Amino acid sequence: MYRSIILGLLLCSNVLAHEMTPTYPKWKVSYIEGVESTTMEMFNRRSDVEWYEIGVFDKEWKPVPFVTSYKILNLKYLSQVKFKVYISSSNVDKAEYICSTSKLRGDSMMVSSKICSRFK
Amino acid sequence: MKKLITAGLILLLTGCSLFSSKVQAGNIDITGTVQSRCIINTDTVGAYGNPNAYTLTTTAADGGQKPIVRVDVSLADSYYAQISYPTEFSSSPSLSDTVAWTGSVNSVQTSDAGMSGYQAASTTTGSMRQYGLTVAGTTWFDVASAATYGGGQNKPFPGGSYKAVVLAECIAQ
Repeated sequence: MYRSIILGLLLCSNVLAHEMTPTYPKWKVSYIEGVESTTMEMFNRRSDVEWYEIGVFDKEWKPVPFVTSYKILNLKYLSQVKFKVYISSSNVDKAEYICSTSKLRGDSMMVSSKICSRFK
Repeated sequence: MKKLITAGLILLLTGCSLFSSKVQAGNIDITGTVQSRCIINTDTVGAYGNPNAYTLTTTAADGGQKPIVRVDVSLADSYYAQISYPTEFSSSPSLSDTVAWTGSVNSVQTSDAGMSGYQAASTTTGSMRQYGLTVAGTTWFDVASAATYGGGQNKPFPGGSYKAVVLAECIAQ
């Protein structure tokens, strides 16, 4: 009970946080033949970061070609964004991870955050 | 008598309407989904102290500050946390000599006793330490970092601003 309360308070607290869901996205057939898509959602609670880079990778962490509106997303502090990622049907089986990485422009020793969801 | 029956009917209908509105209110559903998620937080921003001309360190006794990264996971066994200490400056004055880097990552606080084995179970690859987040909750990691200039000859760092980056990753299992 206390754990849930503490976790809830922590999740609601005003800290520098980076969040991306879902953890396990699925590819869906898109309106373009031979192309599949998935929808991801990001929330930026890092006041020190406004830009996030999106990447799709295979099991060996090699980049897999993909298309999205902006590969580097401008996400203002405390804002949320849903974005679609498109991939060729021939690459669907190769894609293992989809990641968002914070782009830093700070003055001190900073923490770069990276969250990767996995296609299962 | 008619008035009595009318009044009785009114009361009956009013009661029915109240009862039915209660029933309707009881049928409103609240739905929710608990989905797995990972949140990376920077609780404390790090800073380098400069105890001598050739060392930059996050050790508090030397004027530095260790960055503290907090990782929240809502479901067990869904993510790995990977924390890496820096092995280069992201920005610095021009450096003509080599910099020797050392560092460490430690799980310093947890929200659940079941997480106490995280540090012992973690694995390292170079500067990166990987933790299996087997329990839902929060884990705090601190990162120590030190840079020594001069390739073992303790040369003074050139004057200027030095920045380095700690990488905190949450990778779905």
